[in-house]
Amino acid sequence: MKKFVNDPAQFVPEFMKGIAMANPDLLAFTPEFQMIVRKSGPNNSKVSVIQGSGSGHEPAHVMAVGPGMLTGACQGAVFAAPAVDSCYETIKACASDAGVLILVNNYQGDRMAWDMATEMAVAEGINARQFWINDDVAVEDSTWTVGRRGVAGNFFVIKCCGAAAEAGQGLDAVEAIADKVNNNVRTMGIALTSCIPPAKGTPIFDLGDDEIEVGVGIHGEPGRRRDKIKPADALTEELFEAVASDIPFNSGDRIALMVNGLGGTPITELYVIYAKAHELAEAAGFTVVRNYVGEYCTSLEMAGASLTILRLDAELEALLDAPAETAARIL
Amino acid sequence: MSDISQADIERALKATCATVLRNEMYFADLDGLAGDGDFGISLATGFRQIEKEWDEIPKTDIGALLLKISMIVSKHVGGSSGPIWGTGFMKAALLTRGKTEITVDDLAAMLGSAIEGIQARGGAVLGDKTLLDALIPVHETLKSAGDPASALKDSAAAADAAIDETRNLIAHRGRASQVGARSANTPDPGIVAIATILQDWCKEFGIERTPVAAELAKATA
Repeated sequence: MKKFVNDPAQFVPEFMKGIAMANPDLLAFTPEFQMIVRKSGPNNSKVSVIQGSGSGHEPAHVMAVGPGMLTGACQGAVFAAPAVDSCYETIKACASDAGVLILVNNYQGDRMAWDMATEMAVAEGINARQFWINDDVAVEDSTWTVGRRGVAGNFFVIKCCGAAAEAGQGLDAVEAIADKVNNNVRTMGIALTSCIPPAKGTPIFDLGDDEIEVGVGIHGEPGRRRDKIKPADALTEELFEAVASDIPFNSGDRIALMVNGLGGTPITELYVIYAKAHELAEAAGFTVVRNYVGEYCTSLEMAGASLTILRLDAELEALLDAPAETAARIL
Repeated sequence: MSDISQADIERALKATCATVLRNEMYFADLDGLAGDGDFGISLATGFRQIEKEWDEIPKTDIGALLLKISMIVSKHVGGSSGPIWGTGFMKAALLTRGKTEITVDDLAAMLGSAIEGIQARGGAVLGDKTLLDALIPVHETLKSAGDPASALKDSAAAADAAIDETRNLIAHRGRASQVGARSANTPDPGIVAIATILQDWCKEFGIERTPVAAELAKATA
């Protein structure tokens, strides 16, 4: 293993410290709970939107904290759910009279931790509720889930809910937006290599030099099948077909199209995928209104990519257009 | 009748730490018969942390104390036992907020709420050969119990009996469910742990009681 790591046990608090130090006007870091909250804190006239999951998926989720996005987020160890007390303290730190919406990617560990934390917070009189994201079309159940997994589509849920909260919409309305986005967003990914959690020091799964995992999870969990590497267009076609046929999307749909890097794939390769995906979308009669090419939800240094399609309407287009500022910004 | 003080609860919690740490390897051995052998160590990791943090745990009231215990257990007990035991303590905590004394009836209500929470979290029911098979009869006992001393003694007896009553069941939940019939003839370590904790509480509070189940006799020897 060659990584920029000191003590692997301190990897998560050390990178969180760096994120906070690089954004001193925007973010406040509480090491005890591996929690990052907007420096301005919650606003009692606006719904707080929060997230929390295992580390290793950055910029999801602590780097998605900022105006127009998340109010706060907490991290577990790499690929491990956050601790219950981290979740509970994040809800408390983001408590707002307008309510707290907790966006949880559908994994058993995350759900158990947030279930407990939400119950504790509600007992203290905090108006908090959860929403589960499950956009991955690859498999119905997996190593760590009952039901579909939450993956890169979580970006769109965060963005739309964050914008709606910023605009002053109430908790019911923001939750309805989460539901609308989750119902209209679908994702699937392909891994070209495994990844190495710092505390483990070795790859979490074995993939031959010429092998790929189709439908991979963001923790390296198995997807649909192992296959041999193929030209980019063939891989893009498979991803597009799996995603576009799932809801299904229809000719005439206005969409947002995302090509998300899993951590170890150069941006240039992501644009090779994007070119083909855009052409396939147009051929299918979709209008690509917005595009997102880059890293939104990663799996450490895993080489690979996922394709996400979100069906838009006027409300969602306006929410995607709304300004937002996070530590993941590119200037 | 207000008769169980916060000091009693603190004493019971400290005794529980001693019980779990003393039986770390024994509970692991029991788990190894049908499960994956991590139960004893997982549980001990959490209760060792409670001992370590004991002086800093808030003791303003029983609810605050139990909520912190719930947090530590959820965070430090590994595997599925963390959220399951943590949920039990959390539910008990939510019913004792601001209280420094409780009755046996309160204790029954706390355990009832803990059982509901554990069932919701893990999806197990009576007869699935989990710790619920000890907690549910203890709850039934507590609902009609008299003074704290006899309530504790009867509760310990109910959990003790659960070991032998469930010995031949086939596990339907947790890791032991994956070995099917192999789980028959071996007691569930969660049930043995609950019985051991209650038996040790009897000793802690000066109540005479002789264990019946062989595993309980061994765990409290």
